[in-house]
Amino acid sequence: MLDILTAVLVTGLTNGALYALATVGLSLIWGSMGMLNMAHGAMLALGGYITFTVVETLGLPLPVAMLAAVAAGALAGMLLYLGIVRSLLKSGGPGFETSVMIATVGIAIALQNALLLVYGGQPLRQPFAISGAVGVGAGVVPLLNIVIVAVAVAVMVAVSVLISRTRMGRAIRATAQNRDAALLMGVPVGRVYLQVLALSGGLAGICGVLVSSITQLTPGLGADPMLKAFIMCVVAGLGNLPGAIAAAFGLAIIEAAVQFGAGARWGFPVLLLLVIAILIWRPAGLFGRAQIRRM
Amino acid sequence: MPEPDIALSLEGLTAGYEGPDVLRGISLEVPRGRIVTVVGPNGHGKSTLLRTVSGLVRARSGRVLVGGAEVQALAPHRIAAAGVAHVPQGDLLFPEMTVHENLMMGAYREADAGVIEARLAEVHALLPRLRERHRQLASSLSGGERRMVGIGRGLMAGARILMLDEPSLGLAPLVIEQIYEVIGRLREQGRTILLVEENPARVAELCDTMHLLDNGEIVWSGPPAELMDRDELLATYLGG
Repeated sequence: MLDILTAVLVTGLTNGALYALATVGLSLIWGSMGMLNMAHGAMLALGGYITFTVVETLGLPLPVAMLAAVAAGALAGMLLYLGIVRSLLKSGGPGFETSVMIATVGIAIALQNALLLVYGGQPLRQPFAISGAVGVGAGVVPLLNIVIVAVAVAVMVAVSVLISRTRMGRAIRATAQNRDAALLMGVPVGRVYLQVLALSGGLAGICGVLVSSITQLTPGLGADPMLKAFIMCVVAGLGNLPGAIAAAFGLAIIEAAVQFGAGARWGFPVLLLLVIAILIWRPAGLFGRAQIRRM
Repeated sequence: MPEPDIALSLEGLTAGYEGPDVLRGISLEVPRGRIVTVVGPNGHGKSTLLRTVSGLVRARSGRVLVGGAEVQALAPHRIAAAGVAHVPQGDLLFPEMTVHENLMMGAYREADAGVIEARLAEVHALLPRLRERHRQLASSLSGGERRMVGIGRGLMAGARILMLDEPSLGLAPLVIEQIYEVIGRLREQGRTILLVEENPARVAELCDTMHLLDNGEIVWSGPPAELMDRDELLATYLGG
Protein backbone atom coordinates (compact mmCIF):
# COMPACT_ATOMS: atom_id res chain seq x y z
CA MET A 1 0.00 0.00 0.00
CA LEU A 2 2.79 2.40 0.98
CA ASP A 3 4.70 1.77 -2.25
CA ILE A 4 1.52 2.56 -4.27
CA LEU A 5 1.06 5.76 -2.31
CA THR A 6 4.69 6.69 -2.98
CA ALA A 7 4.26 5.96 -6.69
CA VAL A 8 1.07 8.09 -6.85
CA LEU A 9 2.79 10.94 -5.07
CA VAL A 10 5.94 10.74 -7.23
CA THR A 11 3.92 10.69 -10.48
CA GLY A 12 1.52 13.36 -9.23
CA LEU A 13 4.27 15.69 -8.02
CA THR A 14 6.35 15.22 -11.19
CA ASN A 15 3.41 15.83 -13.51
CA GLY A 16 2.20 18.63 -11.22
CA ALA A 17 5.58 20.36 -11.47
CA LEU A 18 5.53 20.08 -15.27
CA TYR A 19 1.90 21.23 -15.56
CA ALA A 20 2.60 24.09 -13.15
CA LEU A 21 5.58 25.25 -15.20
CA ALA A 22 3.50 25.19 -18.40
CA THR A 23 0.58 26.82 -16.59
CA VAL A 24 2.67 29.69 -15.20
CA GLY A 25 3.76 30.58 -18.75
CA LEU A 26 0.19 30.59 -20.04
CA SER A 27 -1.25 32.34 -17.02
CA LEU A 28 1.34 35.14 -17.12
CA ILE A 29 0.30 36.06 -20.65
CA TRP A 30 -3.41 35.77 -19.97
CA GLY A 31 -3.16 37.76 -16.74
CA SER A 32 -1.23 40.66 -18.21
CA MET A 33 -2.46 40.79 -21.80
CA GLY A 34 -5.74 38.87 -21.96
CA MET A 35 -4.10 36.70 -24.61
CA LEU A 36 -4.41 32.93 -24.95
CA ASN A 37 -1.17 31.76 -26.55
CA MET A 38 -2.08 28.64 -28.54
CA ALA A 39 1.57 28.37 -29.70
CA HIS A 40 2.75 27.70 -26.12
CA GLY A 41 2.81 23.92 -26.73
CA ALA A 42 4.89 24.30 -29.89
CA MET A 43 7.32 26.50 -27.95
CA LEU A 44 7.70 23.64 -25.43
CA ALA A 45 8.67 21.32 -28.29
CA LEU A 46 11.10 23.92 -29.62
CA GLY A 47 12.90 23.99 -26.25
CA GLY A 48 13.20 20.21 -26.23
CA TYR A 49 14.65 20.06 -29.75
CA ILE A 50 17.07 22.95 -29.14
CA THR A 51 18.56 21.04 -26.17
CA PHE A 52 18.85 17.92 -28.34
CA THR A 53 20.66 19.87 -31.09
CA VAL A 54 23.06 21.68 -28.75
CA VAL A 55 24.10 18.43 -27.03
CA GLU A 56 23.98 15.91 -29.92
CA THR A 57 25.07 18.09 -32.86
CA LEU A 58 27.20 20.81 -31.28
CA GLY A 59 28.56 18.58 -28.50
CA LEU A 60 28.13 21.22 -25.80
CA PRO A 61 27.37 20.37 -22.15
CA LEU A 62 23.79 19.87 -20.97
CA PRO A 63 23.54 23.02 -18.78
CA VAL A 64 24.50 25.13 -21.82
CA ALA A 65 21.88 23.29 -23.86
CA MET A 66 19.21 24.01 -21.25
CA LEU A 67 20.10 27.69 -21.23
CA ALA A 68 19.92 27.61 -25.04
CA ALA A 69 16.39 26.14 -24.77
CA VAL A 70 15.35 29.00 -22.47
CA ALA A 71 16.94 31.55 -24.83
CA ALA A 72 15.26 30.00 -27.90
CA GLY A 73 11.86 30.02 -26.15
CA ALA A 74 12.35 33.64 -25.05
CA LEU A 75 13.38 34.63 -28.58
CA ALA A 76 10.33 32.85 -30.03
CA GLY A 77 8.13 34.77 -27.56
CA MET A 78 9.71 38.08 -28.53
CA LEU A 79 9.32 37.36 -32.25
CA LEU A 80 5.69 36.42 -31.64
CA TYR A 81 5.12 39.82 -30.01
CA LEU A 82 7.06 41.88 -32.54
CA GLY A 83 5.72 40.02 -35.59
CA ILE A 84 2.06 39.51 -34.71
CA VAL A 85 0.77 40.48 -31.28
CA ARG A 86 1.95 44.10 -31.42
CA SER A 87 0.07 44.70 -34.69
CA LEU A 88 -3.08 43.05 -33.37
CA LEU A 89 -2.94 45.18 -30.21
CA LYS A 90 -2.45 48.35 -32.25
CA SER A 91 -5.44 47.58 -34.45
CA GLY A 92 -7.42 47.69 -31.17
CA GLY A 93 -11.07 46.78 -30.87
CA PRO A 94 -12.81 44.10 -28.86
CA GLY A 95 -11.71 41.28 -31.21
CA PHE A 96 -8.11 41.05 -29.92
CA GLU A 97 -8.69 37.93 -27.79
CA THR A 98 -10.17 36.01 -30.72
CA SER A 99 -7.80 37.20 -33.42
CA VAL A 100 -4.67 36.54 -31.35
CA MET A 101 -5.93 33.05 -30.51
CA ILE A 102 -6.42 32.25 -34.21
CA ALA A 103 -3.05 33.79 -35.11
CA THR A 104 -1.21 31.73 -32.49
CA VAL A 105 -2.94 28.53 -33.68
CA GLY A 106 -1.37 29.31 -37.07
CA ILE A 107 2.05 29.89 -35.46
CA ALA A 108 1.73 26.60 -33.56
CA ILE A 109 1.00 24.67 -36.78
CA ALA A 110 3.86 26.38 -38.62
CA LEU A 111 6.36 25.76 -35.79
CA GLN A 112 5.37 22.09 -35.42
CA ASN A 113 5.74 21.54 -39.15
CA ALA A 114 9.11 23.29 -39.18
CA LEU A 115 10.30 20.91 -36.42
CA LEU A 116 8.90 17.97 -38.42
CA LEU A 117 10.80 19.17 -41.51
CA VAL A 118 14.12 19.59 -39.67
CA TYR A 119 14.07 16.62 -37.28
CA GLY A 120 11.65 14.17 -38.97
CA GLY A 121 8.71 12.43 -37.37
CA GLN A 122 10.64 9.68 -35.55
CA PRO A 123 10.68 10.14 -31.77
CA LEU A 124 14.12 11.13 -30.47
CA ARG A 125 15.67 10.57 -27.07
CA GLN A 126 16.17 13.70 -24.97
CA PRO A 127 19.80 13.89 -23.76
CA PHE A 128 18.56 15.28 -20.43
CA ALA A 129 18.27 11.89 -18.77
CA ILE A 130 19.40 10.89 -15.27
CA SER A 131 19.48 7.29 -14.20
CA GLY A 132 19.34 5.92 -10.67
CA ALA A 133 16.83 6.07 -7.87
CA VAL A 134 16.59 6.93 -4.20
CA GLY A 135 14.84 4.68 -1.69
CA VAL A 136 12.11 6.46 0.26
CA GLY A 137 10.52 4.25 2.91
CA ALA A 138 9.01 1.22 1.18
CA GLY A 139 9.16 2.83 -2.28
CA VAL A 140 11.75 4.02 -4.77
CA VAL A 141 11.88 7.50 -6.28
CA PRO A 142 13.71 7.90 -9.62
CA LEU A 143 16.43 10.55 -9.49
CA LEU A 144 15.13 12.09 -12.74
CA ASN A 145 11.76 12.84 -11.10
CA ILE A 146 13.46 14.52 -8.15
CA VAL A 147 15.54 16.68 -10.50
CA ILE A 148 12.46 17.59 -12.57
CA VAL A 149 10.51 18.70 -9.48
CA ALA A 150 13.56 20.56 -8.10
CA VAL A 151 14.22 22.41 -11.37
CA ALA A 152 10.53 23.28 -11.84
CA VAL A 153 10.14 24.53 -8.26
CA ALA A 154 13.38 26.55 -8.52
CA VAL A 155 12.19 28.17 -11.75
CA MET A 156 8.77 28.99 -10.25
CA VAL A 157 10.36 30.50 -7.14
CA ALA A 158 12.60 32.61 -9.40
CA VAL A 159 9.55 33.77 -11.40
CA SER A 160 7.68 34.54 -8.19
CA VAL A 161 10.59 36.66 -6.87
CA LEU A 162 10.85 38.41 -10.23
CA ILE A 163 7.15 39.28 -10.23
CA SER A 164 6.87 40.34 -6.60
CA ARG A 165 10.22 41.97 -5.83
CA THR A 166 11.66 43.57 -8.95
CA ARG A 167 10.88 46.77 -10.86
CA MET A 168 10.10 44.68 -13.95
CA GLY A 169 7.71 42.55 -11.90
CA ARG A 170 5.97 45.65 -10.50
CA ALA A 171 5.51 46.93 -14.04
CA ILE A 172 4.05 43.56 -15.13
CA ARG A 173 1.62 43.50 -12.19
CA ALA A 174 0.64 47.12 -12.75
CA THR A 175 -0.01 46.55 -16.46
CA ALA A 176 -2.05 43.43 -15.66
CA GLN A 177 -4.22 45.29 -13.13
CA ASN A 178 -4.79 48.49 -15.07
CA ARG A 179 -3.13 49.17 -18.42
CA ASP A 180 -4.09 52.86 -18.65
CA ALA A 181 -2.98 53.60 -15.09
CA ALA A 182 0.35 51.87 -15.80
CA LEU A 183 0.83 54.08 -18.86
CA LEU A 184 0.09 57.19 -16.79
CA MET A 185 2.77 56.11 -14.28
CA GLY A 186 5.29 56.06 -17.13
CA VAL A 187 5.37 52.27 -17.60
CA PRO A 188 6.28 51.42 -21.21
CA VAL A 189 3.46 48.91 -21.64
CA GLY A 190 4.68 47.68 -25.05
CA ARG A 191 8.02 46.73 -23.53
CA VAL A 192 6.24 45.01 -20.63
CA TYR A 193 4.28 42.86 -23.12
CA LEU A 194 7.52 41.99 -24.89
CA GLN A 195 9.09 40.98 -21.57
CA VAL A 196 6.05 38.88 -20.61
CA LEU A 197 6.10 36.96 -23.88
CA ALA A 198 9.89 36.47 -23.60
CA LEU A 199 9.51 35.22 -20.01
CA SER A 200 6.66 32.90 -20.95
CA GLY A 201 8.63 31.61 -23.96
CA GLY A 202 11.66 30.95 -21.76
CA LEU A 203 9.48 29.01 -19.31
CA ALA A 204 8.06 27.01 -22.22
CA GLY A 205 11.62 26.24 -23.37
CA ILE A 206 12.76 24.78 -20.03
CA CYS A 207 9.41 23.01 -19.58
CA GLY A 208 9.87 21.34 -22.98
CA VAL A 209 13.25 19.96 -21.90
CA LEU A 210 11.78 18.51 -18.69
CA VAL A 211 8.68 17.07 -20.38
CA SER A 212 10.68 15.38 -23.15
CA SER A 213 13.04 13.85 -20.55
CA ILE A 214 10.26 11.60 -19.25
CA THR A 215 8.58 11.07 -22.64
CA GLN A 216 10.26 11.44 -26.02
CA LEU A 217 11.04 14.24 -28.42
CA THR A 218 8.30 14.62 -31.01
CA PRO A 219 7.02 17.80 -32.71
CA GLY A 220 3.69 17.38 -30.90
CA LEU A 221 5.15 16.85 -27.42
CA GLY A 222 3.77 20.16 -26.13
CA ALA A 223 0.14 19.41 -27.02
CA ASP A 224 -0.73 17.39 -23.90
CA PRO A 225 0.99 19.68 -21.33
CA MET A 226 -0.54 22.72 -23.09
CA LEU A 227 -4.06 21.23 -22.90
CA LYS A 228 -3.58 20.32 -19.23
CA ALA A 229 -2.05 23.73 -18.50
CA PHE A 230 -5.05 25.44 -20.04
CA ILE A 231 -7.36 23.30 -17.89
CA MET A 232 -5.35 24.20 -14.76
CA CYS A 233 -5.54 27.91 -15.70
CA VAL A 234 -9.32 27.73 -16.06
CA VAL A 235 -9.75 25.79 -12.82
CA ALA A 236 -7.59 28.28 -10.91
CA GLY A 237 -9.19 31.33 -12.50
CA LEU A 238 -7.53 32.73 -15.60
CA GLY A 239 -4.51 34.89 -14.86
CA ASN A 240 -4.16 33.81 -11.20
CA LEU A 241 -0.54 32.68 -10.89
CA PRO A 242 -0.37 31.16 -7.36
CA GLY A 243 -3.79 29.60 -7.90
CA ALA A 244 -2.62 28.05 -11.16
CA ILE A 245 0.37 26.42 -9.43
CA ALA A 246 -1.83 25.06 -6.63
CA ALA A 247 -4.38 23.74 -9.16
CA ALA A 248 -1.61 22.11 -11.23
CA PHE A 249 -0.22 20.12 -8.30
CA GLY A 250 -3.65 19.26 -6.88
CA LEU A 251 -5.15 18.03 -10.16
CA ALA A 252 -1.97 16.16 -11.16
CA ILE A 253 -2.03 14.20 -7.90
CA ILE A 254 -5.74 13.40 -8.37
CA GLU A 255 -5.06 12.33 -11.98
CA ALA A 256 -2.21 10.06 -10.85
CA ALA A 257 -4.36 8.52 -8.12
CA VAL A 258 -7.14 7.76 -10.63
CA GLN A 259 -4.64 6.29 -13.09
CA PHE A 260 -3.23 3.97 -10.42
CA GLY A 261 -6.63 3.05 -9.00
CA ALA A 262 -8.79 2.69 -12.11
CA GLY A 263 -6.33 2.47 -14.99
CA ALA A 264 -4.35 4.97 -17.04
CA ARG A 265 -7.18 5.65 -19.51
CA TRP A 266 -9.45 7.02 -16.77
CA GLY A 267 -7.05 9.74 -15.65
CA PHE A 268 -7.92 12.40 -18.22
CA PRO A 269 -11.72 11.82 -18.35
CA VAL A 270 -11.95 12.05 -14.56
CA LEU A 271 -9.83 15.22 -14.67
CA LEU A 272 -12.25 16.76 -17.19
CA LEU A 273 -15.31 15.75 -15.16
CA LEU A 274 -13.73 17.32 -12.10
CA VAL A 275 -13.05 20.52 -14.04
CA ILE A 276 -16.67 20.68 -15.26
CA ALA A 277 -17.92 20.20 -11.69
CA ILE A 278 -15.59 22.93 -10.39
CA LEU A 279 -16.69 25.35 -13.10
CA ILE A 280 -20.39 24.69 -12.37
CA TRP A 281 -19.69 25.30 -8.68
CA ARG A 282 -17.38 28.30 -9.23
CA PRO A 283 -17.64 29.66 -12.81
CA ALA A 284 -14.72 32.08 -12.31
CA GLY A 285 -12.44 29.24 -11.15
CA LEU A 286 -11.34 28.17 -7.68
CA PHE A 287 -9.34 31.34 -6.99
CA GLY A 288 -10.80 33.66 -9.64
CA ARG A 289 -13.15 36.58 -9.11
CA ALA A 290 -16.45 36.80 -10.93
CA GLN A 291 -16.59 39.55 -13.52
CA ILE A 292 -19.75 41.48 -14.21
CA ARG A 293 -19.90 43.12 -17.61
CA ARG A 294 -22.52 45.74 -18.33
CA MET A 295 -23.93 45.30 -21.80
CA MET B 1 18.51 75.15 -17.27
CA PRO B 2 15.85 77.26 -15.46
CA GLU B 3 12.32 75.88 -15.42
CA PRO B 4 10.06 77.77 -17.91
CA ASP B 5 7.37 80.03 -16.46
CA ILE B 6 4.66 78.18 -18.36
CA ALA B 7 4.45 74.56 -17.20
CA LEU B 8 1.78 73.50 -19.70
CA SER B 9 0.51 75.15 -22.83
CA LEU B 10 -2.25 73.94 -25.17
CA GLU B 11 -2.50 75.52 -28.61
CA GLY B 12 -5.55 74.91 -30.79
CA LEU B 13 -6.01 71.38 -29.45
CA THR B 14 -8.60 69.25 -31.25
CA ALA B 15 -9.28 65.64 -30.25
CA GLY B 16 -11.97 62.98 -30.17
CA TYR B 17 -12.69 59.28 -30.15
CA GLU B 18 -14.12 57.42 -33.18
CA GLY B 19 -16.77 59.99 -34.10
CA PRO B 20 -16.72 63.79 -34.38
CA ASP B 21 -14.35 66.06 -32.45
CA VAL B 22 -14.96 66.20 -28.70
CA LEU B 23 -12.49 69.05 -28.16
CA ARG B 24 -12.35 71.91 -30.65
CA GLY B 25 -9.42 74.32 -30.75
CA ILE B 26 -8.61 74.40 -27.03
CA SER B 27 -5.94 76.91 -26.07
CA LEU B 28 -4.86 77.58 -22.50
CA GLU B 29 -1.78 78.01 -20.36
CA VAL B 30 -0.90 76.77 -16.89
CA PRO B 31 1.79 79.00 -15.33
CA ARG B 32 4.28 77.41 -12.93
CA GLY B 33 3.07 77.42 -9.30
CA ARG B 34 -0.56 78.22 -10.21
CA ILE B 35 -3.86 76.34 -10.17
CA VAL B 36 -5.85 76.57 -13.40
CA THR B 37 -9.33 75.10 -13.50
CA VAL B 38 -11.50 73.96 -16.41
CA VAL B 39 -15.19 73.84 -15.47
CA GLY B 40 -18.20 72.68 -17.42
CA PRO B 41 -21.14 70.29 -17.27
CA ASN B 42 -20.79 66.52 -17.64
CA GLY B 43 -20.09 65.27 -21.14
CA HIS B 44 -18.62 68.52 -22.46
CA GLY B 45 -15.04 67.21 -22.81
CA LYS B 46 -13.32 67.94 -19.48
CA SER B 47 -11.94 64.43 -18.96
CA THR B 48 -11.13 64.11 -22.67
CA LEU B 49 -9.03 67.26 -22.33
CA LEU B 50 -6.86 65.70 -19.62
CA ARG B 51 -6.73 62.34 -21.43
CA THR B 52 -5.49 64.16 -24.54
CA VAL B 53 -2.78 66.00 -22.62
CA SER B 54 -1.54 62.73 -21.08
CA GLY B 55 -1.67 60.91 -24.43
CA LEU B 56 -4.44 58.41 -23.67
CA VAL B 57 -6.47 60.13 -26.41
CA ARG B 58 -4.55 61.11 -29.54
CA ALA B 59 -4.74 64.81 -30.53
CA ARG B 60 -6.09 65.34 -34.06
CA SER B 61 -4.50 68.76 -34.39
CA GLY B 62 -2.90 71.46 -32.27
CA ARG B 63 0.01 71.34 -29.87
CA VAL B 64 0.65 70.30 -26.26
CA LEU B 65 3.77 71.84 -24.75
CA VAL B 66 5.13 70.62 -21.42
CA GLY B 67 7.89 72.84 -20.10
CA GLY B 68 8.22 74.23 -23.61
CA ALA B 69 8.66 70.83 -25.31
CA GLU B 70 6.09 69.52 -27.76
CA VAL B 71 4.62 66.19 -26.53
CA GLN B 72 1.34 65.58 -28.37
CA ALA B 73 2.86 62.93 -30.65
CA LEU B 74 4.48 60.98 -27.80
CA ALA B 75 3.20 57.76 -26.17
CA PRO B 76 1.55 58.25 -22.74
CA HIS B 77 4.52 56.80 -20.82
CA ARG B 78 6.84 59.30 -22.52
CA ILE B 79 4.48 62.20 -21.72
CA ALA B 80 4.55 61.05 -18.06
CA ALA B 81 8.36 61.09 -18.27
CA ALA B 82 8.19 64.64 -19.66
CA GLY B 83 6.56 65.76 -16.40
CA VAL B 84 2.80 65.22 -16.53
CA ALA B 85 1.12 63.41 -13.62
CA HIS B 86 -2.52 62.64 -14.42
CA VAL B 87 -4.88 61.60 -11.61
CA PRO B 88 -7.80 60.31 -13.66
CA GLN B 89 -11.49 60.27 -12.86
CA GLY B 90 -12.32 57.13 -10.85
CA ASP B 91 -8.72 56.89 -9.56
CA LEU B 92 -7.52 53.98 -11.74
CA LEU B 93 -5.64 52.51 -8.79
CA PHE B 94 -3.95 49.11 -8.94
CA PRO B 95 -6.53 47.17 -6.90
CA GLU B 96 -4.36 44.18 -5.97
CA MET B 97 -1.47 46.34 -4.78
CA THR B 98 -1.16 47.86 -1.32
CA VAL B 99 -1.39 51.60 -0.72
CA HIS B 100 2.41 51.71 -0.44
CA GLU B 101 2.89 49.81 -3.71
CA ASN B 102 0.44 52.15 -5.46
CA LEU B 103 2.42 55.15 -4.21
CA MET B 104 5.68 53.55 -5.32
CA MET B 105 4.21 53.02 -8.80
CA GLY B 106 3.83 56.80 -8.95
CA ALA B 107 7.60 57.06 -8.65
CA TYR B 108 8.16 54.29 -11.22
CA ARG B 109 10.43 56.44 -13.38
CA GLU B 110 12.56 57.73 -10.49
CA ALA B 111 15.73 55.71 -9.89
CA ASP B 112 17.15 57.66 -6.92
CA ALA B 113 16.02 55.94 -3.69
CA GLY B 114 16.74 59.09 -1.66
CA VAL B 115 14.43 61.20 -3.87
CA ILE B 116 11.70 58.55 -3.61
CA GLU B 117 11.98 58.48 0.21
CA ALA B 118 11.77 62.28 0.37
CA ARG B 119 8.65 62.33 -1.85
CA LEU B 120 7.06 59.58 0.23
CA ALA B 121 7.68 61.58 3.42
CA GLU B 122 6.04 64.64 1.79
CA VAL B 123 3.02 62.60 0.70
CA HIS B 124 2.66 61.07 4.19
CA ALA B 125 2.89 64.53 5.76
CA LEU B 126 0.16 65.81 3.44
CA LEU B 127 -2.02 62.68 3.60
CA PRO B 128 -1.32 61.01 6.99
CA ARG B 129 -4.16 58.51 6.43
CA LEU B 130 -2.04 56.85 3.73
CA ARG B 131 0.71 56.07 6.23
CA GLU B 132 -1.86 54.34 8.48
CA ARG B 133 -3.21 52.36 5.54
CA HIS B 134 0.09 51.61 3.80
CA ARG B 135 -0.20 47.81 4.01
CA GLN B 136 -3.88 47.74 2.99
CA LEU B 137 -4.94 46.64 -0.51
CA ALA B 138 -6.24 49.51 -2.63
CA SER B 139 -9.40 47.52 -3.41
CA SER B 140 -10.36 47.56 0.27
CA LEU B 141 -10.25 51.37 0.70
CA SER B 142 -13.17 53.77 0.95
CA GLY B 143 -13.92 56.20 -1.91
CA GLY B 144 -12.23 59.14 -0.16
CA GLU B 145 -9.16 57.10 0.72
CA ARG B 146 -8.91 55.88 -2.86
CA ARG B 147 -9.00 59.47 -4.08
CA MET B 148 -6.21 60.37 -1.64
CA VAL B 149 -4.08 57.47 -2.89
CA GLY B 150 -4.66 58.73 -6.45
CA ILE B 151 -3.48 62.24 -5.48
CA GLY B 152 -0.56 60.83 -3.47
CA ARG B 153 0.47 58.63 -6.38
CA GLY B 154 0.36 61.65 -8.69
CA LEU B 155 2.58 63.60 -6.26
CA MET B 156 5.08 60.71 -6.07
CA ALA B 157 5.90 61.29 -9.74
CA GLY B 158 7.50 64.65 -8.85
CA ALA B 159 5.99 65.97 -12.06
CA ARG B 160 6.03 69.49 -13.51
CA ILE B 161 2.26 69.56 -13.53
CA LEU B 162 -0.40 67.63 -11.64
CA MET B 163 -3.71 67.12 -13.49
CA LEU B 164 -6.69 66.27 -11.28
CA ASP B 165 -9.87 65.00 -12.93
CA GLU B 166 -12.93 65.79 -10.76
CA PRO B 167 -11.38 64.70 -7.46
CA SER B 168 -14.70 65.22 -5.64
CA LEU B 169 -16.81 63.07 -7.98
CA GLY B 170 -19.09 60.64 -6.15
CA LEU B 171 -17.85 61.49 -2.66
CA ALA B 172 -19.79 62.47 0.46
CA PRO B 173 -19.80 66.23 1.28
CA LEU B 174 -17.52 65.79 4.30
CA VAL B 175 -14.98 63.83 2.25
CA ILE B 176 -15.15 66.42 -0.54
CA GLU B 177 -14.19 69.08 2.03
CA GLN B 178 -11.17 66.99 3.06
CA ILE B 179 -10.09 66.52 -0.56
CA TYR B 180 -10.30 70.25 -1.26
CA GLU B 181 -8.40 70.98 1.94
CA VAL B 182 -5.59 68.86 0.54
CA ILE B 183 -5.71 70.75 -2.78
CA GLY B 184 -5.61 74.01 -0.79
CA ARG B 185 -2.42 72.84 0.92
CA LEU B 186 -0.95 71.91 -2.47
CA ARG B 187 -1.68 75.48 -3.56
CA GLU B 188 0.17 76.81 -0.51
CA GLN B 189 3.13 74.60 -1.44
CA GLY B 190 3.21 76.28 -4.86
CA ARG B 191 2.32 73.18 -6.89
CA THR B 192 1.30 73.58 -10.52
CA ILE B 193 -2.14 72.05 -11.04
CA LEU B 194 -4.62 71.74 -13.88
CA LEU B 195 -7.94 70.85 -12.25
CA VAL B 196 -11.18 69.93 -13.98
CA GLU B 197 -14.40 70.19 -12.00
CA GLU B 198 -18.10 70.28 -12.71
CA ASN B 199 -19.02 72.71 -9.94
CA PRO B 200 -17.38 76.17 -10.47
CA ALA B 201 -18.45 77.48 -7.05
CA ARG B 202 -16.56 74.69 -5.32
CA VAL B 203 -13.19 75.61 -6.84
CA ALA B 204 -13.58 79.39 -7.27
CA GLU B 205 -11.52 80.21 -4.17
CA LEU B 206 -8.82 77.69 -4.96
CA CYS B 207 -7.76 78.62 -8.46
CA ASP B 208 -6.05 81.52 -10.16
CA THR B 209 -7.67 81.20 -13.58
CA MET B 210 -10.84 79.49 -14.69
CA HIS B 211 -11.87 78.30 -18.15
CA LEU B 212 -15.47 77.48 -19.02
CA LEU B 213 -15.80 74.51 -21.37
CA ASP B 214 -18.98 74.26 -23.42
CA ASN B 215 -19.40 71.42 -25.94
CA GLY B 216 -15.65 70.99 -26.38
CA GLU B 217 -14.87 74.71 -26.74
CA ILE B 218 -13.58 77.22 -24.22
CA VAL B 219 -16.24 79.96 -24.19
CA TRP B 220 -14.92 82.07 -21.36
CA SER B 221 -11.59 82.48 -19.48
CA GLY B 222 -10.63 84.75 -16.60
CA PRO B 223 -10.50 85.19 -12.84
CA PRO B 224 -12.98 82.83 -11.13
CA ALA B 225 -14.84 85.59 -9.25
CA GLU B 226 -15.90 87.15 -12.55
CA LEU B 227 -17.30 83.93 -14.00
CA MET B 228 -20.10 83.76 -11.42
CA ASP B 229 -21.76 86.87 -12.87
CA ARG B 230 -21.38 85.96 -16.54
CA ASP B 231 -24.24 85.00 -18.85
CA GLU B 232 -22.00 82.32 -20.42
CA LEU B 233 -22.14 80.35 -17.18
CA LEU B 234 -25.94 80.13 -17.21
CA ALA B 235 -25.98 79.42 -20.94
CA THR B 236 -23.47 76.55 -20.58
CA TYR B 237 -25.10 74.88 -17.58
CA LEU B 238 -28.76 75.53 -18.38
CA GLY B 239 -28.59 75.70 -22.18
CA GLY B 240 -29.57 78.60 -24.29
